[in-house]
Amino acid sequence: MTTTVGIRSKDGVVLAADKRASKGFFVGSKVVQKIFSLDDATAVAIAGAMSDAEYLVNLAKAERRLLALRRGYPLSVKESAKLISNIVYSSMKSYNPFYVELVVAGVDLEGPHVYTSDMSGAITSEDFMSSGSGSPIAYGVLEQGFRKESSLEDTRKLAEAAVRAAMERDPGSGNGVDVLAIPNGHALEAN
Amino acid sequence: MATEMSRMPFFYNQEGRLVQVDYALQAVSRGSTTIGLKTKDFALLSSQVKPTRPLMEPAEKVFVVDDHIGATGSGYIGDVTTLLDQVRVAAQRHRVVYDEPIDVGTLSRNLSEYLHEFTMYAVRPFGASVLLAGVDHLGVQLIQVDPSGTTFKGSAFAIGQSADEALEAIVKGYRPDLPADDAVSLVTQAIEGVNGGKSVIEHGIITAAAKRFEHRHIPAPAA
Repeated sequence: MTTTVGIRSKDGVVLAADKRASKGFFVGSKVVQKIFSLDDATAVAIAGAMSDAEYLVNLAKAERRLLALRRGYPLSVKESAKLISNIVYSSMKSYNPFYVELVVAGVDLEGPHVYTSDMSGAITSEDFMSSGSGSPIAYGVLEQGFRKESSLEDTRKLAEAAVRAAMERDPGSGNGVDVLAIPNGHALEAN
Repeated sequence: MATEMSRMPFFYNQEGRLVQVDYALQAVSRGSTTIGLKTKDFALLSSQVKPTRPLMEPAEKVFVVDDHIGATGSGYIGDVTTLLDQVRVAAQRHRVVYDEPIDVGTLSRNLSEYLHEFTMYAVRPFGASVLLAGVDHLGVQLIQVDPSGTTFKGSAFAIGQSADEALEAIVKGYRPDLPADDAVSLVTQAIEGVNGGKSVIEHGIITAAAKRFEHRHIPAPAA
């Protein structure tokens, strides 16, 4: 179920997700948050089991804080994505997987990044991506509308349009869109 | 009997003392002078940094444990940093389990239980005392934790070299309404007073208003 979208633009990154939590053929909740911020410059959008998602995000937040405190500067987006995918991978290998598909997006000193990982922990870096049951429909919009040189505001509109299109035809997605845009230059310095 | 004792130094001796713990406290009293001070508005942690030599970067002595808690210590610096990591992990574990920042009392109890383990078996207790400063639901907190696992709550503590003399100077200058800037100079005077002049001192401070533990950078005097 769910539709999530992550897009990289020259000015930053955008995450978008619908708000529906499904219980089989029933709408379990209409106000679910599927986008979680790890800090001011990094966020994750998650499709799948919400309990797994929330636990994973809390675990990732704790591990990131510890590493940042120990070494004195925060994690890059790639490091955050790899950290999460390592947790997910080791769980899969011990036959106790996280039922999630995730997008890790953010800006760091090297610029904007969008990474995606499935429950096996395989990560790829993308210009744009979508996951969840509505993703085939969202991809239709993204493939048509994505421009590398788009502004952050236009990228934001594209992300919302992609999720809205999916909500029209996918019964697993609906009840409104959450959008998070992180502009460049938001990268955290050493603490 | 004497040989029995020297073979099992981790047992009580005939006076009922744990000599290993006493030695650990002695190791702390050889460490650099370190002071914690709090009022209802803020808590300050300060530690003398030594040794310093030309071309050497001064070592870090005051640490952020979590957003709202800081720590410093005196004794063997390797032991201090190991204990620091213990409390950092405890703080993040608490966030994972309860989705809330840890309170200073729970954190100090965790550290105290950890230290206590090392007084029970044939191992070396940590040669370090730790000062924790933070802000939680109960207000501004300052806690000292010793190698035995003993904890003390209070408004001012001094550990390390010449700790008693340094604390005497603090007691003389302490007021419940002491402003933070005055506290920094009081603590600086106390540390420099017992160490014979200008010292490199690292400070960390947390205020009840901001609830964030941060290093306080004192501009270095022109050389």
